[in-house]
Amino acid sequence: MAASSVKAARGWPVLALGVRNRLLRLPGLTQVRWSRYGPEYKDPQIDKEYYRKPLAELTEHEKDDLELRKTQHIKAAPATKTSSVFDDPVISKFTNMIMKGGNKVLARSLMTQTLEAVKRKQFEKYHAASAEERATIERNPYTIFHQALKNCEPVIGLVPILRGGHFYQVPVPLADRRRRFLAMKWMITECREKKHRRMLMPEKLSHELLEAFHNQGPVIKKKHDMHKMAEANRALAHYRWW
Amino acid sequence: MMLSRVTRLISGARRLDPGRFLDTGSQGSRSLAAHPGNQAPDDRPRAVSRTSEKDPARHAEQHEGLHYDIPLQDMRTLFPHSLPPRFSMQVKTFSEACLMVRKPALELLRYLKNTNFAHPAVRSVLSGDVFFNPSALDGEKGTGKTLSLCHVIHFCAKQDWLILHVPDAHLWVKNCRGLLPSTHNRQRLDQPIQASIWLKNFKTTNDRFLSQIKVQEKYVWNKQESTEKGSPLGEVVEQGITRVKNATDAVGVVLKELKGQSRAGRFRLLVAVDGVNALWGRTTLKREDKSLVAAEELALVHNLRKMVKNDWHGGAIVLTLSQTGSLFKPRTAYLPQELLGKEGFDALDPFVPILVSNYNRKEFESCIQYYLENSWLQHEKAHTEEGKQQLLFLSSANPGQLERLCAHL
Repeated sequence: MAASSVKAARGWPVLALGVRNRLLRLPGLTQVRWSRYGPEYKDPQIDKEYYRKPLAELTEHEKDDLELRKTQHIKAAPATKTSSVFDDPVISKFTNMIMKGGNKVLARSLMTQTLEAVKRKQFEKYHAASAEERATIERNPYTIFHQALKNCEPVIGLVPILRGGHFYQVPVPLADRRRRFLAMKWMITECREKKHRRMLMPEKLSHELLEAFHNQGPVIKKKHDMHKMAEANRALAHYRWW
Repeated sequence: MMLSRVTRLISGARRLDPGRFLDTGSQGSRSLAAHPGNQAPDDRPRAVSRTSEKDPARHAEQHEGLHYDIPLQDMRTLFPHSLPPRFSMQVKTFSEACLMVRKPALELLRYLKNTNFAHPAVRSVLSGDVFFNPSALDGEKGTGKTLSLCHVIHFCAKQDWLILHVPDAHLWVKNCRGLLPSTHNRQRLDQPIQASIWLKNFKTTNDRFLSQIKVQEKYVWNKQESTEKGSPLGEVVEQGITRVKNATDAVGVVLKELKGQSRAGRFRLLVAVDGVNALWGRTTLKREDKSLVAAEELALVHNLRKMVKNDWHGGAIVLTLSQTGSLFKPRTAYLPQELLGKEGFDALDPFVPILVSNYNRKEFESCIQYYLENSWLQHEKAHTEEGKQQLLFLSSANPGQLERLCAHL
């Protein structure tokens, strides 16, 4: 390629095909989060069902896709993404947020212990309840986890905007990923800070998740506080330009 | 009607892939997982996991892989100390205690039923891989040695034996506070707390025997107290529980009396020790002058070693070798030679080793079915065939690992 031959002529080490050096393009700016993969690298297809479909059932579009993938560059699959049926992206993200210092083993064991604690508490309630109440008690820790985090997501958020030398907290609609992040962050911070010194994280987390599932508890309160602040600062909404 | 149902189930089994197992045991002792009513012709035979046979004496090969439950008040008398922690959590969550009937336990029960009590006590050690002529219970971590021992204890309790159960011998050689020099023998050390706890549990399990068995000698505890010859064994136990300082000596007396009197034939004695390799291993206990204590310097260990020796009649000894609580043993060690060391192996020789291995296909299916019946597997994908295969792969059919996996799924 012309670019790599130019680099070789100037005596610089020729980088492998696809690895970009964007510094050359924008001298003033450094990338904080960037990937060593170039744009031609496609994401790997982890789903087993995609490959199990017999050839006869595929549409034209899918057949072309399959042919194209044979010649394209594919990124390596990350170690955390599995083709297991029990794989859950929300749980993985939450586990990564719990992780401290790269200790994924500990974070994952805390997560599994939390799910187990939630399950055991719900089973206790189930056995103690009467026949009519039993139908309403949810025992699946995964549905409880997902529902609790969904209940904790704020609808509207505040963003500091600089106007006339002062920062104003302006109410702003949040993207989906920002909402999910905030819900998880609040949950983890709450459990880390507001627990007794000797209480273990799974116990506290399971308690908070169950409360959030029933729309109670400190994390839901934090979401409501955020909504109230946004309501109070309604007048500043026109500072937003996007 | 019943016959046509059974024949339809059997023909259904032949049509399917070898992954499905059907227990075609006795008609009366089954409870089908789904409604027994709908028997469509293309019905897949449901794997069964429970049997209604509650008496361990009648467990046989047809019950292999099935769960039977122990009534909870029996659990409180038989196992007053704690069971393995994960099992006791399961008992609490499900409000029932179900054990799986497996081959090693059935083998042991067969030996116990056929024992000729005139011969010296047959020693069965729940241990590893090697099949010597004697028998023993061992296996790798998490294969079910302790629960097989519990099955055997339940059987013996139902047959009205006297049960001497040491739940975990490792607890006697580590983390003991309050070691005292022994009153009986100056060189040895007492463990008052451990001994008194054990005496309390012994009393709960064997209450009815304590008034019947009479002590054969006079024992003097201190200047004021002594136990006369011919008084019931319950007094010795009471003495140990109330006067904690003499608890270890009380334990020694109890063991000596039981060993001496079991040959008389009035009762049968079962000595069940879990983690017997602790008796011949190293300890982590230190005296006040920071010098290490060897295992034989502990009075409890010394007395228990005498109990486990092969020189008395009228009972049986069932032992378990366990790496889980052991000290200074690598995680992969499970054979009797590795865990007991030369000294222990020679002391226990001859014994009958019984291997406890991972679940086979049928037992695995039964275990999954049991969890499904109790709605323990809540993940929606866990009910599918793919989910089951993944569980099998991840746990490699190890019962302990499977339990831990299913706990959070």
